[in-house]
Amino acid sequence: MNMIYKKIVKLLLTFFVIITLNFSLPRLMPGDPFYFLSSEQGDIAITYSEEEIQRQKAYYGLDKPILVQYGNYLINLGRGDLGYSIYFGNDVWTIIKNRIPWSVSLVLLSIILGGLIGILLGCLSAWQRQRTLDKILYSTMVFVSEIPPFLIGILFLFTLAAQQGLFPLSGGMTPFADYASWTDRILDLVHHGFLPALTLSVVQMGGFFLIARNSMISVMNKDYITTAKAKGLGTWRILFRHALSNAALPIVTRVFSSLGQAVGGTILVENVYKYPGLGLLMRQAVLVRDYPLVQGIFLTVTLFVLIMNTAADIMYKKLDPRIN
Amino acid sequence: MKKSGISKLLLLFILTAIIINITGCGSRRDQNTAGNVDHEKDSPLIIRLEGGDWGLPSPFAHYSRGPGMAKMRLIYDSLLEKGEEGLIPWLAKEWSISPDGKEYAFVLNSQVKWHDGKMLTAEDVKFSFEYFLKHPPVSNSLLIDGKPFIEKIEIVDEHQIKIAVTEPNATVLDRLGIVRIIPKHIWENVDNPKKVRDLDKLVGCGPYKLTHYNQEQGTYRYQAFEDYWGPKPLIDIIEFVPVSDPVLAFENGEIDLIKVPQDLMDRYKGNEKYKVLKSPAFWGYKLMFNMEKKPELSDINVRKAIAHAIDIDELIEKVARGAAVPASPGYLPIDHIWYNPDVTKYEFDIEKAKELLNNRTLDLTLLIADDQREARIAELLKINLAKAGINLTVQTADMKTRDSMVKEQNYELALIGHGGWGQDADILRENYAVSVAKDNSPASNVIPGYSNPIINELCKKQLTELDEESRKSMIKELQKLISDEIPLLPLYNTVEYTVFRPEKYDGWVHVFDHHEVTHNKLSYLER
Repeated sequence: MNMIYKKIVKLLLTFFVIITLNFSLPRLMPGDPFYFLSSEQGDIAITYSEEEIQRQKAYYGLDKPILVQYGNYLINLGRGDLGYSIYFGNDVWTIIKNRIPWSVSLVLLSIILGGLIGILLGCLSAWQRQRTLDKILYSTMVFVSEIPPFLIGILFLFTLAAQQGLFPLSGGMTPFADYASWTDRILDLVHHGFLPALTLSVVQMGGFFLIARNSMISVMNKDYITTAKAKGLGTWRILFRHALSNAALPIVTRVFSSLGQAVGGTILVENVYKYPGLGLLMRQAVLVRDYPLVQGIFLTVTLFVLIMNTAADIMYKKLDPRIN
Repeated sequence: MKKSGISKLLLLFILTAIIINITGCGSRRDQNTAGNVDHEKDSPLIIRLEGGDWGLPSPFAHYSRGPGMAKMRLIYDSLLEKGEEGLIPWLAKEWSISPDGKEYAFVLNSQVKWHDGKMLTAEDVKFSFEYFLKHPPVSNSLLIDGKPFIEKIEIVDEHQIKIAVTEPNATVLDRLGIVRIIPKHIWENVDNPKKVRDLDKLVGCGPYKLTHYNQEQGTYRYQAFEDYWGPKPLIDIIEFVPVSDPVLAFENGEIDLIKVPQDLMDRYKGNEKYKVLKSPAFWGYKLMFNMEKKPELSDINVRKAIAHAIDIDELIEKVARGAAVPASPGYLPIDHIWYNPDVTKYEFDIEKAKELLNNRTLDLTLLIADDQREARIAELLKINLAKAGINLTVQTADMKTRDSMVKEQNYELALIGHGGWGQDADILRENYAVSVAKDNSPASNVIPGYSNPIINELCKKQLTELDEESRKSMIKELQKLISDEIPLLPLYNTVEYTVFRPEKYDGWVHVFDHHEVTHNKLSYLER
């Protein structure tokens, strides 16, 4: 019981530190949400006079001393109010809420897909260690995992979407679509989400492959594998029943830690495909210094990672009773 | 920035693919165009344009960028409109200005309907002006240097209104003219207009009604308003859709108009299926001098030396890939209606620069944003200035950081790119003659350490000159003065090429002060 309390206190403490950082980081960045001096090529930014900027700041409570702002932020957060976005002119939680399903499904899908393929190939590679298949797989995977995600994205976008016309060029669904049934709807969503998910999967795959291969190799040298081989068990049974279940620990850790990484990857991939997730939003929010929205997104992402880490801890104990 | 990096890469891919795979792509495109032309006379004309989220198109909620403003303006009309040559009558069919320049009278068109069927009256116009003073819209023209200038609004009768202003000012007609007119019956009880997000509330009297908006997807759909009072909308439905790469999307027939990078122009030029429009050059780069932090810069010979040591043609060729024109040292670009061609020009001449510097050497830091183009400009400047004896250190920051460093006057030289060079010539005053006490500095346009009484005086004079011809000659004189002084140095103004398929829709047009055909109302209406 004591352990659980400690755990909870620790989590709360972490959470508090995080929201404090979330509050101060955007404000430490130089720049001002209301001040536009320049604009991207071909674009016009509306500029405001000092009086107007002051008026806007007062409207959003940004004219108050920083500690008062911090206090207000904590109070509002306690009430579940994330604030009102400056640039996007909407409730922060509404904006984020509408984006979460897109990003989360992308992240989960890519980890399942990338994880399965990566682990499978990792096992194969470990089994065929030092032979041609292993060498080819190993070098390919190392190569692939070093390509930046947006480049892979552009490659798919160009070959599969633009040239072959197999997939739409951008977006999360057909614009203005009027679906006849929910199956149509799901098919359309899958159709649009496939390339971004595939891109992220490819990015994830390399990491999973390497960790699975390493972990399997160390397990394959264990006595019980020799015994299993001596008993004349089949290759698949040895690999996936005896070896993989013992090599699973680092892989599971990897699954959860890569959830955090995948969020980073989505930023780039969503920007390539104009996929309506949190990543696309985060980039815009930071560029325009939309403090409330940046805070909201950071908070959501950190919460997500915290929850995943806790889940990893729990899974760990389930998988290996020795850890306590 | 990331975005431009990605588009550069894409461009590379597209180019290679075009070379490798001309046949495959070509046949598919034919099918698409054929499909588009086939639409029957009765079926509605749907035009698709590059979308992305620019905010709910209410006057209070759209994002503070050009595309957001343009989408809002499709719904809301104003008293006057920007035409191809200048201001044109719109909701107001006539207007007059009193001789002392303090009273503006507008006569409204009488048959103007709101999208919900109610009639527009002078009451709505009065309400709009008053409401915007209390609740400023995102794009607010009702302030001059941050201060309101309307003294009184008086309704003469149902279709006539008089607006009294505090002092005569040449920009007031433009400022009053572009204010959006909003319906009193919708907004009179709204206290926090920023939070109004209901599509039903976006009732305007403009040519288009918004029927769909999705913030995450960045999609908009507009439908022509059947009872529109003015010129007939030619496009029945306008759809804005998200696009990853505009050129790919255009080739695939997903959108009907793009801006083409110079490197891809050959693909569309001389092909009768496409029409190419060249935009006026109203976006540009300028070099700011901070004479307070670097007193050497207040020496006019140093500024002239810098101007002579910059090879603008090289910048245009290497950075803008030819899609730009040299900026005028007098600021107003060559496409501006009041451009003065007789300003002092500074040709590229290293020897002359050395002479002006009188064998001095100078160390300067140039602040730029982390953008590929700006980095290239900085590199080229560095090479040439070094030849003249000026050592340039380049300092890079992200765009917002750079902007606030300039605001805080924390730079020596700064490179800034922005739009709006085609606006009313009062931008000269805003750029060269804004002087404000340091503690309360709006600073966006202040040239630190520089003040020229002659320029200041003329800037002030043109602002109150209501006779257009004499104001125009003042502006021309002002440009000449500025070009002799170069308190800041405009580098080049970019040109954009818009490509579309005329057989589908051929109404695109540029208005006199803007470089974007999709951002003005005239492009969508019968002329």
